[in-house]
Amino acid sequence: MLTVGPLAFLAPLLLLALVALPILWWLLRAVPPAPAKRAFPGVRLLLGLQDPERMPEKTPWWLLALRIAAIAAAILAFANPVFNPETDDGGTGPLLIVLDGGWASAPAWAEREARVADLLDAAGRSGRPVSLLNLAEPLSEDGPAFRDAADWAARLVALEPQAWSPDRAGAADWLAEASAGFDTIWLTDGVATPGDEAFAAALAAAGDVTVIRDGLDRVALTAPRFADGAVRADLLRTEATPRPSLRVTAFGPDPNGIERVLGEARVMFEGTGTETEALFDLPVELRNRVTRLAVPGVRSAGAVALTDDGLKRRKVGLLAGGQEGEGARLVSALFYLERALEPSADLIVAPLMDILLAAPDVIILADVGTLAGPERDALLSWIEGGGLLIRFAGPRLARSGEGQLEDDPLLPVRLRAGGRTVGGTMSWGAPKRLRPFPDASPFAGLELPADVAISSQVMAQPDPNLPERVIAALEDGTPLVTGRAQGDGRVVLFHVTANAEWSSLPLSGLFVEMLERLAVSARGAQPDAGELAGQTWVPVAVLDGFGELREPELLPGVDGARLVSEAPGPDMPPGIYAAGERRVAVNLFAPGDGIRPLEPLPDGFQEDSMTVVEETFLKPWLLAAALIALMVDILATLWLAGRLSGPRVTQGAALLLAAGLGLSAAPADAEGDDLALYATTSTVLAYVETGNARIDDVSRAGLLGLSGVLSRRTAIEPGEPVAVDLESQELSVFPFLYWPISETQPLPSDAAYGKLNAFLRSGGMILFDTRDANLGGRLGAGTPNGRALQRLAAKLDIPPLEPAPDDHVLTRTFYLLQDFPGRYANTDVWVEAAPDVEEVEGMPFRNLNDGVTPVVIGANDWAGAWAVSNSGQYMLPVGRGTGGGRQREIAYRFGVNLIMHVMTGNYKSDQVHVPALLERLGN
Amino acid sequence: MSLSAEDKARAAVLLRRDSEKISGSLPPLLAEADRLAMTVAMGVHGRKRAGIGETFWQYRQAMPGDVATSVDWRRSGRSDNLYIREMEWEAAQTVSIWADDSAAMDYKGPSAPRTKRERTVLLTLALSVLLVKAGERVSLLGSDAAQPRTGENQLRRMAMALAEPRPDRPDFGAPPQAKFQSSGRAVFFSDFMGARDEVFPALMHAADRNVAGCFVQVVDESEEEFPFDGRTVFQSMAGTVQFETQRARALRAAYRDKLAERREALETMARRTGWRCLIHRTSESPRTALLWLYMAIGGLR
Repeated sequence: MLTVGPLAFLAPLLLLALVALPILWWLLRAVPPAPAKRAFPGVRLLLGLQDPERMPEKTPWWLLALRIAAIAAAILAFANPVFNPETDDGGTGPLLIVLDGGWASAPAWAEREARVADLLDAAGRSGRPVSLLNLAEPLSEDGPAFRDAADWAARLVALEPQAWSPDRAGAADWLAEASAGFDTIWLTDGVATPGDEAFAAALAAAGDVTVIRDGLDRVALTAPRFADGAVRADLLRTEATPRPSLRVTAFGPDPNGIERVLGEARVMFEGTGTETEALFDLPVELRNRVTRLAVPGVRSAGAVALTDDGLKRRKVGLLAGGQEGEGARLVSALFYLERALEPSADLIVAPLMDILLAAPDVIILADVGTLAGPERDALLSWIEGGGLLIRFAGPRLARSGEGQLEDDPLLPVRLRAGGRTVGGTMSWGAPKRLRPFPDASPFAGLELPADVAISSQVMAQPDPNLPERVIAALEDGTPLVTGRAQGDGRVVLFHVTANAEWSSLPLSGLFVEMLERLAVSARGAQPDAGELAGQTWVPVAVLDGFGELREPELLPGVDGARLVSEAPGPDMPPGIYAAGERRVAVNLFAPGDGIRPLEPLPDGFQEDSMTVVEETFLKPWLLAAALIALMVDILATLWLAGRLSGPRVTQGAALLLAAGLGLSAAPADAEGDDLALYATTSTVLAYVETGNARIDDVSRAGLLGLSGVLSRRTAIEPGEPVAVDLESQELSVFPFLYWPISETQPLPSDAAYGKLNAFLRSGGMILFDTRDANLGGRLGAGTPNGRALQRLAAKLDIPPLEPAPDDHVLTRTFYLLQDFPGRYANTDVWVEAAPDVEEVEGMPFRNLNDGVTPVVIGANDWAGAWAVSNSGQYMLPVGRGTGGGRQREIAYRFGVNLIMHVMTGNYKSDQVHVPALLERLGN
Repeated sequence: MSLSAEDKARAAVLLRRDSEKISGSLPPLLAEADRLAMTVAMGVHGRKRAGIGETFWQYRQAMPGDVATSVDWRRSGRSDNLYIREMEWEAAQTVSIWADDSAAMDYKGPSAPRTKRERTVLLTLALSVLLVKAGERVSLLGSDAAQPRTGENQLRRMAMALAEPRPDRPDFGAPPQAKFQSSGRAVFFSDFMGARDEVFPALMHAADRNVAGCFVQVVDESEEEFPFDGRTVFQSMAGTVQFETQRARALRAAYRDKLAERREALETMARRTGWRCLIHRTSESPRTALLWLYMAIGGLR
């Protein structure tokens, strides 16, 4: 490598070729430009003439200079110059690159990747073995693996920031076990974690350490909580410097399930404070829908806080069976329910129909007997739409006989007549206790208090379905709580009363927990480990390092206790975890957490910046310059030789200029213009391109044949037929379109239909040909092409049609015809319906002289009959023998009549007036 | 530009197919010539004038100098004046046409629509159509149709001969040393660019046969303008003659002088022999040339 200032040449030996430039100069000077050769009949006249001027035989100096410059540029290019070349880092021995790949690294991840790639390049140039370590990912057991830098560069793309904090403490232990003797470059995120000191010490013990910081201010959100009627979350940061206000946005689905911004809070750090509160005062409807809070513009898992059931306040409708007196509050059927639910749910105590109008999440019926008529239907449809009905038994339900004779959709099980009472004064046995909850039950894991005893209950009818519907049972196996799915919703029955009359259950804390497990009430604050323990929580959605929610992949369920006690990590990423109906959000930061900047590092650590100095390879630019110089040379040589004039060159220059100005549409327009010019300077028959090559060929050949016949027999002398692309071409320049119908033709666009309708209204004619008269039947009578025609023509502005009457002007515009055969001759031809005009006695045809029919529709495959190949032979057979020849002739005559009709309108119909006119003129 | 093999084949097929047709419409070449001829025929009314013939044309009053034997006594007997019975001129004339088919005629300049040969063929046929319609006999010198005949068949024969070029064509053409009908007419289509000592004697030969006629010099526009520049090697169409120049545009004036000189020579010779001269550029409408030719041939008699 040869270095000259900020320039370096990777292949400096090639520069020796520059010595050859003077030789080239001499050679180029000696070779004059080659003469042009032209065929020219007038050459005899030139013989003997003397050249008065002589062309300079030597190349002018400026052209030489241009050529030399081009070649010099090429030589320099192949010497591979580099601007700002990267030099190796001067170090030797293995190099460990450490990345804090946690949530805090996500905002500037691309720069980190670029910096790491740069480091790997430098290490690769100096041949150092490298190991790349992401602290947020699980560490390999064998210690750092030092490998070739190129090997790591390939893996760099797959590196991603993780949603949790880097585990520096773990890495410190891991590094301590590894053998020393490597230098370290540490790309830190600048957020303190426990174990920073040990980690720094471990690095320092191994060798030189360089720390690279990006100097960004990290922002993090704590888990949202509900307090004082508002959703709150703390916004944390590391740097204690003044900074402008930030927005925090609440996202959630709208009623259609599309995620939208539901609320926004503007928050400000006071002075140099590192903690502030974002507050969302939202209506219940909106609040219940919030799924996450995020700081817009900060792509990091730390700046996203997920919400769960903790924020949801459900609407619960309460209805009791009987009216209690004022004085009997403690025995009221609803007293304990209200006390249990009030802190965490919105209660509606009203008649059933009013409750249903409020669209509650849960309805609790305490000792309600029979529901009948519209109430019952409304309640049932509400359950089937996803509602949760919880019923408590009681004397009324037991007496009503509801669900005893047959399955009642409002009860989960069939009940037996009467109930049972145990442990009372008049009964045998002691009050019963609860059996521990089975694992499948939503109550699994709840502690059983010792003092809950059941003395009365309604009994379930033994039934094959009964065991799977039991959620909680007594010691002797009698069901206490049963539940069943009904439509999208659920019906749950507590076989005891909601007050303390039949059992002491409502008096215990278990009652509240059971309601919570049934997702009736939402917990008010952070759950504690005990509440969640005993159930396995399965991740439903997890955050990635950038703060996006993803499907969890291959993640095992997590025990409930760990959800609150442990910080998120590789085996428990932040996200939403579900068990049964309940969902819990695991967030990076709980309320009250904070983040701190990294402590100052011990002496001896070098600092480096995040920015990458890009080296620039000048080879492509030099090569491009050489190429451009050679192009200019071509033009200059042509100009010198006098070949830069004439129409073609001017056209080419105009084209180049247009291309240079970015007018790439110009050639296409020019093509369209050429076509329009062609179509307007001569009469041109046109056909619609169907996209089927065979049909298009026949159409072209057919119109070619018809054009030939027209030229020979009539004053119409059409040019070559033209294929028309409905989408792109102007139609108004054509008098006549032949449109063969094929099943495979796609529907034209609306714009094309617009053009077609304008074409029809302004006097153009389209001949539709379904080409399937050989399939028998009448036109459009269910053949595939007939259906295709109906489909295509649906959007066309076509007047009412009729089969061409015997006196239609088409029968006499040039030849006198009786019918209009093509290759087939057995169907009607449809034209615009004529106004109803009486036939006059003695007149050969009716007096119809308005308008040319805009469409002619038939199935006779006219183009097939007209078609001639380029060598003049007929392409397709028509009929058999002389009859066929006659039919082809008539087909040609029909074509002549048709084009005459297009060109002259109803002129022939006007002839009917000739006698009258002559009479008036003459006499 | 010479006819490509494909074009030749195509033309031959078209000719054959058409010749086999019972209805007998003309081949496209003829059709085009026919159309061109029609435009002229509309402007000029045939040979409707007095002359030697068998059909009665008109009576006119005898003028001093009329031969007494030409007086129609039966008509004169009915009035006081003497009348002469005139017959319509019906004698068929022979018009020999030479259409130069040398390689030089295949030249087409950068902006010209057609080659000189194509234009020559068109004019030849159109003129023939007009003449045959008027009842004249036409012959195409140097071809199968060299025998003067009249009628559609002769037209078709000429079209065939014109459609297929001769196999070994010279670089520059000179009229064949044909036998001319004495007191016939001749039309020579060529660019007259050949060597002076080859072209002029042949022209003199025709004039010597007591044949009156027209020279039509068909030229391409670029042959008059000489729009060339730069170092150029000019070649004749078949490459037999070469000329190299250092700067073509400097030769323009000299070339034009030479061309004018050649035309002057042509016209001088025409004047001397009673012929007429027309310069026709392929960029011009063939109709003017045809009309001029038609008038010229009529006027020569």
